[in-house]
Amino acid sequence: MKSEFVFITLPASALIAPSAFAIQYLSVEQAQRAIFPGKSFTAAPVKLTSVQRKAIEQASGVRVLHDEQQVWRVGGGGWFIVDEVVGKHEFINYAAGLTADGSVKQIEIMDYRETYGGQIRDQKWRAQFVGKTSKSTLKLDSDIKNISGATLSCRHITDGVKRLLAFYEIALKH
Amino acid sequence: MKMRLAFTAAILCCVSVVRGDEQLFGFVRGAETLPAHHWEVYQFVTLGEGKSEGTYYGTHFETEAEYGVTDQFQASLSLIQHYFHNKGVDGDRDALDNTNAYRFGGFEGSAKYRLLSPFKDPIGIALRLEGGYLFHDEVDGLDQHERYIKPEIDFQKDFLEDRLICSLDLGAEWAWGKQSAEQYPRELSFEGAAGVAYRFAPNWYAGVEIHTRWEYPLFDLNNFEHRVFYAGPSIHYSQERWWATLTWNYQVYGKGVEEPADGQTFAEETRQLFRLKVGFNF
Repeated sequence: MKSEFVFITLPASALIAPSAFAIQYLSVEQAQRAIFPGKSFTAAPVKLTSVQRKAIEQASGVRVLHDEQQVWRVGGGGWFIVDEVVGKHEFINYAAGLTADGSVKQIEIMDYRETYGGQIRDQKWRAQFVGKTSKSTLKLDSDIKNISGATLSCRHITDGVKRLLAFYEIALKH
Repeated sequence: MKMRLAFTAAILCCVSVVRGDEQLFGFVRGAETLPAHHWEVYQFVTLGEGKSEGTYYGTHFETEAEYGVTDQFQASLSLIQHYFHNKGVDGDRDALDNTNAYRFGGFEGSAKYRLLSPFKDPIGIALRLEGGYLFHDEVDGLDQHERYIKPEIDFQKDFLEDRLICSLDLGAEWAWGKQSAEQYPRELSFEGAAGVAYRFAPNWYAGVEIHTRWEYPLFDLNNFEHRVFYAGPSIHYSQERWWATLTWNYQVYGKGVEEPADGQTFAEETRQLFRLKVGFNF
């Protein structure tokens, strides 16, 4: 009986759980340098009012999870925003650079902790967002191509950028 | 003994390179599939406890390796094992031999094809086909040579940025070779399962689920044997490379032929089920 018990439990017990780790690809400073090389940054955090929050949700069709948004004004024009969206297990942190006229200059994935879907860091996929404005459709399988096998991450980043562009129109532009 | 250890080693060699996925429920499947060219391995341990009399513990071990052939199609192989501890289960509903022993269950295989993604389509839908060969039954470990196929359709609808997950599975099972463990050689069963899980904190889901099974010997819908409903909570924790789900399901309703009509069935079912699933990604 003892050997039988060993037989039963060995497959599970011998599987050593690898330690989980969160990958930080870029710090805030690194993301700033990647999107706006050589520029200066002035912190300008925004706390949304309930009216602004509702307006952003209405304009983007995306729920606003946090009232406070980390924003930096870029020397020479433009905005640098750090944001997070829901991943399968944890939040995905990313940064978006907006030009002075509110179009996307670049996005960078800062932290990614998910088992699958890391392909969203691919430069070609992220390049689809360049030039998008609040008037863009920003819909998966429409003006943003999906990455098969990374659908949840693609959709949430797409929704997040759409929300940030509405945030620019309502809370930053004026 | 040497053969068993060698076989175990072979299994370990297979699973040690496997990547993991996760399941939020104990008895409910969602409509997601593994990304292409990824592996996963699960270890399920299910404990069925309690008959109408005596002491009954049926512990079932399922070691499963799964592979994403494409982003929409996955396939898996499972090894089934049991350990039974019965004492005094000898009433008017059932008469099991006193047992305290290991039984080799058999092998199962499955394939799952995702038609629609729960992450970008209005609803996620997947078709699943399972089949297997079982050498001992999972009630008392009696000898049999059961072959079965089980087609199933899985639905999944997500809400709140995919933090609220609703799943529904509907399936049927055709089984042959159930004698001598059971009275009849073949049986038709209908199965259903539904669950709702919410991600209440990063890495944590809490859910409730229900599952049911209806059995008809000889593939005859007029030949009712039993039906049962289980329900209960589940908790799920995940990390980047592994996850675990713990579920408790209680028999909330059961009815069996030739059993007292008191809202419980024990001939092939138990008072409660505990299931622990652990998945690994490499």
